[in-house]
Amino acid sequence: MKNRIFSIVLAVMLVLTILAGCGSTPAGNPTPASQPDTSSKDNSSGGKPASSEPVTITYGLWDSNQAVGFEKMAEEFTQANPNIKIEIQLNGWSDYWTALDAAASAGTLPDTFWMHSNNIYKYASNDMLLNLNDYINASDKIDMKNYPEGLVSIYNYNGKQFAVPKDYDTIGLWYNKTMFDEAGVKYPDETWTWDDLYEAAKKLTKPDKSQYGFLAAMHNQEGFYNFIYQNGGTVITADKKSGYDDPKTIEAMEYYVKFVKDGLSPVIFGDSDRSEAITNGLVAMGFFGSWNLSGFSNNEFMSQNFDVTVLPASPSGGRASIFNGLGYAIAPNTKKADAAWKWIEYLGSKEGQLRQAELGIAISAYNGTADAWVNSNKTFNIKCFIDMVQYAQIRPYSNTTSVWEDKTYEALRGAFTGEKTVEQACRDAAAVMNESLTRE
Amino acid sequence: MPKNDLDAAYQEGLKKMKNQLSRAKVNEWLWGWFLIAPTTIGLIVLNIIPAIQTFYLSFFKSGDFGRGNIFVGLQNYVRLINDQQVWFAVRNTLLYTLLVVPIGVFISAVIAVLLNRNLKGQGIYRSIYYIPVIATPAAVTMVWRWLYNHHYGLINYVLKQIGLKPVNWIDDPDIALISIAIVSIWSTVGYNMILILAGLQEIPQVYYEASNIDGANAITQFFRITIPMVSPTLFFVVITSVIQCMQVFDVVYMMIDVARPSYDRTVSLVYLFYNNSFKYLDKGYGSAIVMLLLLIISVITVIQVRLQKKWVNYTN
Repeated sequence: MKNRIFSIVLAVMLVLTILAGCGSTPAGNPTPASQPDTSSKDNSSGGKPASSEPVTITYGLWDSNQAVGFEKMAEEFTQANPNIKIEIQLNGWSDYWTALDAAASAGTLPDTFWMHSNNIYKYASNDMLLNLNDYINASDKIDMKNYPEGLVSIYNYNGKQFAVPKDYDTIGLWYNKTMFDEAGVKYPDETWTWDDLYEAAKKLTKPDKSQYGFLAAMHNQEGFYNFIYQNGGTVITADKKSGYDDPKTIEAMEYYVKFVKDGLSPVIFGDSDRSEAITNGLVAMGFFGSWNLSGFSNNEFMSQNFDVTVLPASPSGGRASIFNGLGYAIAPNTKKADAAWKWIEYLGSKEGQLRQAELGIAISAYNGTADAWVNSNKTFNIKCFIDMVQYAQIRPYSNTTSVWEDKTYEALRGAFTGEKTVEQACRDAAAVMNESLTRE
Repeated sequence: MPKNDLDAAYQEGLKKMKNQLSRAKVNEWLWGWFLIAPTTIGLIVLNIIPAIQTFYLSFFKSGDFGRGNIFVGLQNYVRLINDQQVWFAVRNTLLYTLLVVPIGVFISAVIAVLLNRNLKGQGIYRSIYYIPVIATPAAVTMVWRWLYNHHYGLINYVLKQIGLKPVNWIDDPDIALISIAIVSIWSTVGYNMILILAGLQEIPQVYYEASNIDGANAITQFFRITIPMVSPTLFFVVITSVIQCMQVFDVVYMMIDVARPSYDRTVSLVYLFYNNSFKYLDKGYGSAIVMLLLLIISVITVIQVRLQKKWVNYTN
C-alpha cells in the first residue's frame, strides 16, 4: 500500500511539472532599463525635459546578422545624444515572438522593438503598441509619404500608425555560375520565364542525383508564393478567404511541384535544409530573400560561385516577387516614450535609413536610399532586389497568419511527397485555411 | 470508598498520560510539517496551483495576452475529440513509449549486469554510459540531426560506403519515429543503468553462495535471484521512464518541423500542446490537450501499480 501511494504521488508530481508550463506565463525578465524609470518620473515632476537625464532604451530584435550593424548605429546615436543609451536585446525568430508575447502580457515589453506583418494585427488590436500619430505629426524628420505605401499600410490599424517602416525585402533567383558554366547554360536574366527555368534545370540536373537543377522546396515566401502571384493567383482574397482553390493558384502550384516530380529538385521541407542544399552545392538555382545577403556574402562557397537575378516570369509574362517589410514599434507603457521616440525617429529618418543601407544591414524603406544599399555589397549583383519592387506583391497576411501558414503546410506536403495530387492538396489547404480563418 | 478513590486516581493518571502523549505527538507533527514545508510550498505554488489553473483554462477560449478569456464550456474538448491530429499524437506518443521503454530498460539492465562484475576499467565504462545523460537534450538532438542528415549525414555516408541505400531518417514518415526513439534510448540508457546498478549491488552475496551450494547455474541464478531482487528498482525505472516518454517533447521539437511530411507520424501530445498554446496562441485548447495527457498517464500508472503485485518483490 505504501509503495502504491508512493508511486502515485511520484507520477502525479512528474505530470504536474509539465502542467506548470501551461498555466502561468513566465514573467518577462526584468531589464536593467527599469532603473532609470524613477529618475525620469522625477524629471517630469521637476518640469525638466525627460531627455536631459541619462536613460537606457531597450531595443528588441531577432536577426543576429543585423544586430552587428545596429550596435554600430546605436553607438553613433549615443554620441549624438549622450543621454540616451541603447541596449540591444537579441532573440532568435521564434523565441522572439514567444518572449514578446510573455513580456506583453506581463507589461514588460522592451521600449522599442521590431514588428512583423504576421503579428501586427494582434499587437495593434490589443493596444500593445504605442500610437505614433502625434509623434509623427510633430516630427520634421518622419513623414509617411517617404516610404512605400504598401509598407505604411501594413502597420496602420484603424487610422493609427503603430510602427515606422524599417526596411523591405524581396525574393531573388540565386544561381551557381560554376555549375552553369560547366553545363554550358546561359545565366538567367530578366527575359526568363518558368519554361526557361525548367529547361535550364533539366540541363543542370545530374543523372546520379548529386546535383539538382532547381530547389523547389516546400516554402511559401521563398518558394511557391512567388509562383502563385506571378500566375495571377492568390493566397488570401480581399474578403479573407483562402485562395488555394483558385484555378490560377492550383496551376502555379502544379508547375512548382513539377520540378520535384520530374526529379529536377530535391524533396526538401525543413527550413534549415534549404540553405544547406544551396550552400553545399546540391542545387544550381534557388529562390532566396534579400535578407540572406550578409549570410551568403560571408559564406565562401556562395560568394565564389553564386550570383543573383530577378525571378523568372510566368509563361504569360506575369511578374511578382514576395515583398515584406519590418517596422519599428514602441511599447505603449514605456515611461521613456520621448527618448524611445528619439531613437525610432533617428532610425526612420533619412539619415538613419541611409546609414542602415550603407552598412548593408537591410534595404532601407525610405524612398531613394536603395542605391546606398546596392553599393554596400560588391559580391553579388543585388540591384535586382530593388528592380523587383515595382511589381512586388505584399506577403499575404491576416490576423492569424502564423496559424494558417502552418496548417496549409500540413495540407500541402502530400503534393510534394506524391501522396496526393497537387489539386487535392490545394483544395485541402483551402479547406483548413478557411476553417482557421473563421476562427479569427 | 478507597477503591473508588484508587479508581479515580487511576483514571486521572491515564488521562494525563494521554494528554502528554498527544502533546508530544502534536509537537512531532508540527515539526514534520515544518520540515516538509519548503518542498510542499514549492509544489503548491509551482505545480499544483498552475495545474488547477490549466484545468480551469481548458474551458476557455483564451484571448490575446491573457486578457479577454471567453468561457466556452466543453467546446475545447469537443474540438479535441474531433481533431484527427490529437489522435495521431496519442498514437505517436504511445508508440514511442512502447519503443523506448522496453528496449531502453532492457539495454540498461544488460549493461548494468555487465558492469556489475569485476571488470577492468569499470569506472571508465560507467562514465562513458553516463555522459549522454549530462549533455543538454537540445545539443544532443542537434548532433543527431547532423548524423541523420539525408544528404550529408555520417550515417548515410557509412551506409553508402558499404553499398546500402541511404535512409531518409527525418523526413520518411515510416522511419522518423524510430530515429527519435534511437536518440532517446541513447540518451537515457546511462541514467537507468546507474539506478539498476545500484539495485544490483544491494543484493547480498549470500544468496548466490547458497544457491551455488544447491547447484544452481548462472541462468537460474539470474532469473531466480537477480531479477526478483532487483524488481523494485526495475519497477521504479519502468514507471518513471513511461511517464518521461509520455511527455516527450524536446527531441521531436528539435528534429521535426511542422512542414515535414513525418510530422503527423511523430508529433507528440506535448509538442501539439506547445504548438497550440505558444505558437497558435490558443492556450485554452492547449490546456485541453494537456488534460488528455494527464488522463492517459494516470490510467497507465494505475494499471502499472495494479500489475506490480504480479512481479515486484519487496523484501522485509
